[in-house]
Amino acid sequence: MRCNAEASLEVRYPQPFVVPVRTKKRYFIPPAVGIKGKAAVSADQEAKARAAGVVLRQEYMERAINIACTAGVFDPYIPPEGDARLSSLSKEGLKQRTEQIKQGAASQLAIRKIKEHDAEFTTKAFPVKAQEIFVDAHNALTQFNKEKLHSLVTERCYPEMVRGNRYKTLRWHFVESLEPPKVVHARCPDMVSKGNLYGQVTVRMHSRQTLAVYDRFGRLMMGSEEEPRDVLEYLVLERHLVNPYGMWRLHGKIVPAWAPVKEPIVKTVMIPGPELKPGEEFEELNYEVPKPKAVQWHK
Amino acid sequence: MLFAFGKTQKLPCIHTSAALDVNKNWDRKNLHMFPPQQPDEARRPAEVHHCRRQIKYSKDKMWYLANMIRGMTIDEAIAQLEFNDKKGAKIMKEVLLEAQEMAVRNHNVEYKSNLYVAESFSNKGKYLKRIRYHGRGMFGIMDKVHCHYFVKLVEGLPPKAEQKTGFDQAKNYVEQLKSRTIIHAL
Repeated sequence: MRCNAEASLEVRYPQPFVVPVRTKKRYFIPPAVGIKGKAAVSADQEAKARAAGVVLRQEYMERAINIACTAGVFDPYIPPEGDARLSSLSKEGLKQRTEQIKQGAASQLAIRKIKEHDAEFTTKAFPVKAQEIFVDAHNALTQFNKEKLHSLVTERCYPEMVRGNRYKTLRWHFVESLEPPKVVHARCPDMVSKGNLYGQVTVRMHSRQTLAVYDRFGRLMMGSEEEPRDVLEYLVLERHLVNPYGMWRLHGKIVPAWAPVKEPIVKTVMIPGPELKPGEEFEELNYEVPKPKAVQWHK
Repeated sequence: MLFAFGKTQKLPCIHTSAALDVNKNWDRKNLHMFPPQQPDEARRPAEVHHCRRQIKYSKDKMWYLANMIRGMTIDEAIAQLEFNDKKGAKIMKEVLLEAQEMAVRNHNVEYKSNLYVAESFSNKGKYLKRIRYHGRGMFGIMDKVHCHYFVKLVEGLPPKAEQKTGFDQAKNYVEQLKSRTIIHAL
């Protein structure tokens, strides 16, 4: 009994701390070497986390997108041939003018629909506003003012205006308007669901502008700053009618099939030649450069 | 300007990974814009900067090739590299062709042969370390070498090195002798 009590009360004296000294480490492994099977390590970590009770919420790879403009021009306006070539005094010119004044029935319907949603829309006042938007948008493009440009131009038109111009200097000047702008065409397409109305209005503009494009090193690529050119354009403006905060913005341009060919850039460009069979030779004299078809396209 | 590129700050931090502290200054030289020139100024020659990073080759061996093509026209440089037996020559040729393509497509260079190699140099990339085993338990740290290669193409003909004739050198020597003076003389 006594020895038990003594044994239980026995104090453990601290043992002398002995450090087993082995030979000094002579080798060195660079840290990157020796980590094999990192995937196995991460799987272990996942299992440990699950066992500990840490719950990871499922990650959804989703993102909400707001669509504020249509993808293109619906039912594009086909400008009559010889527009702005004939003066109003001749017989053909008068005929053209009368045709232009009574726009198609679909356009009238569309204008009526637009007036339902947007009270301030009139065929007389709108073209002036459209021209202002056009001038402001191009001025913002010369300054590369992204925020202002996004407010004046739809998301579909923005990349077409800006692509390739980032490291170029643009100098654009609106000299004067030769004819008062006119509403020529209107359509009201609806996207995705039935009530989602967008209004697209085409405005015809005849004006004088100067454009000069300089490349990254300040060398003139195209156009000239002093020489103004007469330009006949068909602008398409769009607005999301159902949205009360929607604004009329530039959506695109229509280039007619009979438009005059643009002047070439100040640069020699290589065009891919015809495909030759082995043994054939390229005959320079008989070869004509293929010209693209004159089709109306809208930008 | 919205398109002005600010310099990335290298904060004093020990946790930088290998990809974050890479220097991208050479690529940024391609984004430098010049103001439009007046019609009476001489036409500014176009410049294209191109590089390739972490090439599996030694920087010293690359140096020989970079020195060889410095100052050549691009056609000449590509021809020389095509028939060179070194491994770096094939990679360098790819880099030059890429740079030429970039110049014509993006930087408004008119004729693709109208370029010359203005600057060409190589430097050390990030090395990987491995163990090289020697006898008697000894070891060495083996470096898996990588290098970067940089090239700058400029439009136009390469500048001609001035040829100094023997007569010119002799004339300079005689002039030097004649212009000697005795200092602290009465």
